[in-house]
Amino acid sequence: MSELIKKIIMNYPYFAAFIIFVIGALTVLTRSNLFKKLIGINIMESAIFLMFVAAGNIRGGAVPILSGKNPHTLYINPLPSALMLTGIVVSVSVTAFALALILRLYRSYGTTDLRRIYEMGNEVSE
Amino acid sequence: MISAITTNLPVFIIIAPLFVAFVLPTWAQRKRLVENLVISVEILMLLGTCYLASIVLLQKGIPIIYQMGGWSAPWGIELKVGSLGTFFLLTVAIVSLPVALFARGNLTHEVGGKERVARFYVLYLLLIGALGGMALTNDLFNVYVLVEVATLSCCGLVSARNHPRAAKATFTYLILATLGSCLVMGGIGFIYIVTGHLNMGFASQELGRIWQNNPRVVWMAFSFMLVGFGVKSALFPLHVWLPDAHSVAPSPASAILSGLAVKGYLICLLKVLYNVFGFYLMRVYSVHKIMVLVGMVAIISGSISALTQEDLKRRLAFSTVAQVGYIFLGFGLLNTKGLTGTLFYLASHAVIKSTLFLSAGAMLNATGKKNIKDLSGIGRKMPITTAAFTISSLGLIGIPLFSGFVGKWQLLMGSMETGSILPVSVIISGSVLCAAYLFPVIRIAYFGTAPEKDCKDPNLPQKLALIFLSAAIVFLGVIPGSFLELANRAAAELLVLR
Amino acid sequence: MKDFILKRMASIILPFICIYGFYVIFHGHVSPGGSFAGGIIVGLSFIAFSTIYGIEKGRKKLPEKVLVWTESYGTLWYGIMGMVGIVKGAPFLANKLAGVDLGIPGALNSGGLISFIGFGVGIRVASTMVTLFFTMMEEE
Repeated sequence: MSELIKKIIMNYPYFAAFIIFVIGALTVLTRSNLFKKLIGINIMESAIFLMFVAAGNIRGGAVPILSGKNPHTLYINPLPSALMLTGIVVSVSVTAFALALILRLYRSYGTTDLRRIYEMGNEVSE
Repeated sequence: MISAITTNLPVFIIIAPLFVAFVLPTWAQRKRLVENLVISVEILMLLGTCYLASIVLLQKGIPIIYQMGGWSAPWGIELKVGSLGTFFLLTVAIVSLPVALFARGNLTHEVGGKERVARFYVLYLLLIGALGGMALTNDLFNVYVLVEVATLSCCGLVSARNHPRAAKATFTYLILATLGSCLVMGGIGFIYIVTGHLNMGFASQELGRIWQNNPRVVWMAFSFMLVGFGVKSALFPLHVWLPDAHSVAPSPASAILSGLAVKGYLICLLKVLYNVFGFYLMRVYSVHKIMVLVGMVAIISGSISALTQEDLKRRLAFSTVAQVGYIFLGFGLLNTKGLTGTLFYLASHAVIKSTLFLSAGAMLNATGKKNIKDLSGIGRKMPITTAAFTISSLGLIGIPLFSGFVGKWQLLMGSMETGSILPVSVIISGSVLCAAYLFPVIRIAYFGTAPEKDCKDPNLPQKLALIFLSAAIVFLGVIPGSFLELANRAAAELLVLR
Repeated sequence: MKDFILKRMASIILPFICIYGFYVIFHGHVSPGGSFAGGIIVGLSFIAFSTIYGIEKGRKKLPEKVLVWTESYGTLWYGIMGMVGIVKGAPFLANKLAGVDLGIPGALNSGGLISFIGFGVGIRVASTMVTLFFTMMEEE
C-alpha cells in the first residue's frame, strides 16, 4: 500500500492529468449546454497537454536554451512542449470553429441547449 | 530540373493541394479559375501518384524514404513511400478527381455564391492534402496533426450548406471528433512516454524490446488508439454522428467524406496497430479478437439500421457504418489473405460509395425530394445516373465482375483461414442485407411509375464523373492486376514479424 | 469607447506591442516564443486597437482584402522558403544543407531560414486572429 502511495506522489502530474481528463470527459458527455460541452473539450485537451509536458520534464533540468555563459549538464526535454504548442493551436482553431457554430445555432433555434435543439427537430428553416 | 521533381515527388504530392488551398481565397471572385486550378492539381496528383506506384512496384518492396530537411530518422520527420502508402494515395487520387469534376457541375446549385464555392474548394483541397499526408507519413505526431486537419476540414465541408440542420450535425460531429482526437493524442503520448520515439519504426523497435516493463501503459495506449480512431471512423457504437453529418452535406462533400475521409482514419489506425505495436503485441493483448467481434456487430447492426431508413442519403450513410465493420473485421484477421482483401475492399468501397453518393445526389437534385419512394420511374428519365447507381450497388453487394467482389472474396478466404465459422456467415449475411437495402431503390427507379416532373441527366462534368467512377468499378473488378498486387504486398509487409 | 486617457495611452503603447510581436517572431529560434506567440501578440495589438477605437476604425486599418491576402500569402511564403532547399538540390525545408550560413549560435542570424519562415507564419497567425475577432464581433 505504501508503495502505491509513493508511486502516486512521485507521479503526481499524471494523476492530475487523469483527474482533469475525467472531469472534461464527463462534462462533454453529460452536459447538454453547447458552451459547457465546448469547455469540457478544452479541459480534456489541457489534461493531455499536461501529460505530455510532464513527460518531458526532468527534475533538476535546466531550460533547454544553449548559451555560452552557463553550461548545464542536465536539460529538460523540449520536444513535448514544442508538440503541445501545435496541440494548443489545434485546440484554438477547434474552439473558434465551435463558437461560430454555436452562434449560428443560437440564431436559428434561440437556445444553446442541445437537448432542446434536438427536440425541435427539423421544423426550423433557414 | 526533372530529377529535382522526381526525387521530391512525395513531398510535392502532399504540399501541392495544401498550398493551392491556402492561395484560393484570394481568387474567390474568379470561379472558373478556382475550378480549373483544383482540377489541374487533382490531375497532377494522379500522375505523380501513378509514377510513385510504378516505382514502388518495380523496386520490389523497398520503400522510398524521404527525410524532411535532410534530418535522418530519430530526429527528423520521415515520409515513407511504401506499398501501403502508394496504395492509399492511389485510391485518394482516383476518387478525388471525379468528385472535383462533379463538384464543378453542381456546386453553385447546392452551396451558393462564389465565396462559398471558393471556401468549399479550400476545405476540399485541405482534406485531400491531409489524406495524402496520412498515406505517406511515418511519424506519430504527424498522424495526429493530419488527423486534426482532416477533421476540421470535414466539419467545414459538412456545414458548407447554410442551413441550421447542417450546423447541428456539424456541432455533434465536431465535439465527438475532437473527443476522438484527444484520445488519439493521449495514445500517442503513452507510446512516446514508454518508448521515447515518435518515428514509427523506432517506436516499434523500442516497444518490442521493453513492452514487458510497463504492460499496462501499452494496454492503455492500445485502448486509447482503438476508441479514438473508432470514433473518427464511425465504428458501430460510436457512429452516432455519421448519418446526420453525411446526409446533410452537399453531395460531393458526402461522397468524399464517406468515401475517403473515413478511410484515412482507418489507414492511420492500421499503421499504428501494425507498424507501431506490431501484430505480435496485438495477439498478446487479444486486440484482434475485439476488432473481429466489433466488426461483426457493426456489419449486422449497420445494415439493419440502413434497411429502416426512408431518406436515400441516410440509407447510404448507414451503409457506410456497415462497411466500416467489414474493414475492422479484416484488420483483426491477422493473415495475409484477409488483410489483402480488406485493403482492396477499402479502396473499392471508396470508389463505390462516392459513386453511390454522387448519383444519389444527382437524382435528388433533379427531383428536389429526399425520400426513396419519390424516385419512382427516374431510371427512364436519367439513364446514365441510374446506371451508375446500379453498377455501384452491384459492386457494393459483391457481384462478380465488380470491384467489391474481389475484396470480399479475399476477405472470405482470410476469415475461413481463422477456422471460425462466425465471421464467414456474418460477411455473407451482410452481403444479403446489403442487397436488401439497395435493390428496392433500383426497383423503384426502373419499374416505378414515371414522374410527371421533367428531370433529365445532369450536365457534362457530372456525367463524366459518374462514367469515370463506374468505369473504375468495373475495371477494378475485371482486371484488379497491379492494384491487387500492391495491396497484397502491403499486407505482406504489415505482417512481417519485427 | 470614449475614454480619453485610454485612447491616448493606447496610441502610445500599441505600436510598441506590435513591434514587440515582430521581435518575438524573429527571435523564435534563440529565445522562448516564436512565430505563433509573436503572431498572436501582433494580432492582439490590432484587436486592442479596434476594441478601443471602435470596429469601424479597425476595419479601416485592416480591410478584409488585406487580411485575406496576408493570410493566404503568409502561408505560401512558408512553401516558397521550403522550396529554397529543393532549388539548391537538398530536401524540402532544408536549412544548412541548402547552403545557408548559420553564423554563431545565439545570434539572430543563427537560425538561417527559420526567421524567414517564422515571418510568414507570424503574419498568418496575426491576420487569422484579427479575422476571427472581426467575424465574431460582426456576427452579433
